[in-house]
Amino acid sequence: MYLKTLHLRQFRNYQNQLVTFHAPKTILVGDNAQGKSNLLEAVELLATLRSHRTSRDRDLIQEGAPIGQISAALQRELGLRNLTLTLRNGSRRTVALNGEKLKRQLDFLGTLNAVQFSCLDLELVRGGPGERRVWVDTLLTQLEPLYVHILQQYTLALRQRNALLRQQSSDPNQRLKSFDPAQLAIWDAQLATLGSRVIRRRARVLNRLTPIAQTWHKAISNRSELLEIHYTPNVPMEADDPGVVQTAFLEKIQQRATAEYHQRTTLVGPHRDDITFNINQTPARQYGSQGQQRTLVLALKLAELKLMESVAGEPPLLLLDDVLAELDLNRQNQLLEAIQDRFQTLITTTHLGAFDAQWIKSSQILSVQAGQIGEDTST
Amino acid sequence: MEAKIQVGQCSICFHLSADAVCDICRSPNRDNQTLCVVADSRDVIALEKTREYKGKYHVLGGLISPMDGIGPEQLNISPLVHRVNKESIQEVIMAISPSIEGDTTTLYVGQLLKPFAKVTRIAFGLPMGGDLEYADEVTLARALEGRRELE
Repeated sequence: MYLKTLHLRQFRNYQNQLVTFHAPKTILVGDNAQGKSNLLEAVELLATLRSHRTSRDRDLIQEGAPIGQISAALQRELGLRNLTLTLRNGSRRTVALNGEKLKRQLDFLGTLNAVQFSCLDLELVRGGPGERRVWVDTLLTQLEPLYVHILQQYTLALRQRNALLRQQSSDPNQRLKSFDPAQLAIWDAQLATLGSRVIRRRARVLNRLTPIAQTWHKAISNRSELLEIHYTPNVPMEADDPGVVQTAFLEKIQQRATAEYHQRTTLVGPHRDDITFNINQTPARQYGSQGQQRTLVLALKLAELKLMESVAGEPPLLLLDDVLAELDLNRQNQLLEAIQDRFQTLITTTHLGAFDAQWIKSSQILSVQAGQIGEDTST
Repeated sequence: MEAKIQVGQCSICFHLSADAVCDICRSPNRDNQTLCVVADSRDVIALEKTREYKGKYHVLGGLISPMDGIGPEQLNISPLVHRVNKESIQEVIMAISPSIEGDTTTLYVGQLLKPFAKVTRIAFGLPMGGDLEYADEVTLARALEGRRELE
């Protein structure tokens, strides 16, 4: 797929900016806080309908404006698609595909696929389990748009169950009177049914991603390191079968019942999942060097790219946010070889100095200054 | 809201009614052995428009939602159990939207009523005249889940 144009209206610090892409690689150069990442964020929003920087639409709209809009023209093999996301201050956002407003935002997903790689992604290895859950959920959002619905339903059931647990034990004298085991049992069942869907989909996507990531990791580390990715669900998954997972889920809820009763929150379920990355059988989170962690994240991102390509049938976009300068020349070349001209790539940087000459030669270079984008003429 | 206060509720089924007992509950032509459980009076009106259902109704007045502080006690659930128990009802049809709260309410009420009557729930699937290829994924997934053997 190829992003031909991107039009930002009252989005972040852009008043009204049309960008036309005419090379497979585009380098956006500018000082800090000029709007480079905002542009990548706009593409990310079209791909996933969420931003990794904020969950509030009003942060995305230019200050003082009532609405903001991102539109794009995307060339896919089967034709040109026009995507529009309209953000409103104080009311729901709307999405349109080829000028037609979509009733369900879910239907918008899967049109534009993109893999984002920023310097923050090192947190994927170093950070807490939450970072890794967000990562796998974002990947699933693009690969299986229905997953968004499944995850929303699970989250809702979880919040409802937590609310019930909180009500039940607020006053020790009232506890027995207000305790409703029948209602709790139904929320348990709901949580197990919805939660097992989340667990199975996460397990499946990691199974597909792992061999691809391992191949990349081997190549980048010159065959010296072996990567292992282990999904460590909070509820043990013995078989990829809904019945088996649900039974295990309910058993674990039973085991943790007393703890839940005292902590007044749900302690069992995929909201407490983690993913472990091992390099040569050592956990990368605690023992990996900076270099190893970088290699790992690069391998994961390249694997995402390939997996998305095989699912969508077309190469996705790659968004590199301030990350190239952090890679040494060897890794830069690995990346360059991997993407060649097949994956359209948008790159942000503060200076062109760290780039391999090859990159600059074949790229469209745009300069970004205070929400204005122009063709760079200095190079 | 104002109409609700002025109109009042039927003392049997809790549907909106100007009288103490609503037209549907009073009607001698309706099937006394079938009861359709809905969340809201609006659902009764929608079902009545079809003119296909001849049984009676029971309006719960909402859905179980702990986040909003709504438990079974806040809904018309105990009068329902009482009714099913007393009125020799054969079948209870649960006609509640398939949301998380709707499903929970359906399951909760269903369990309470199972000892006294046959409990069924309405099917969820594709709208009539809708093409399979245009159906959204959530509806399709739900329709697949509720598939039936060809008769």
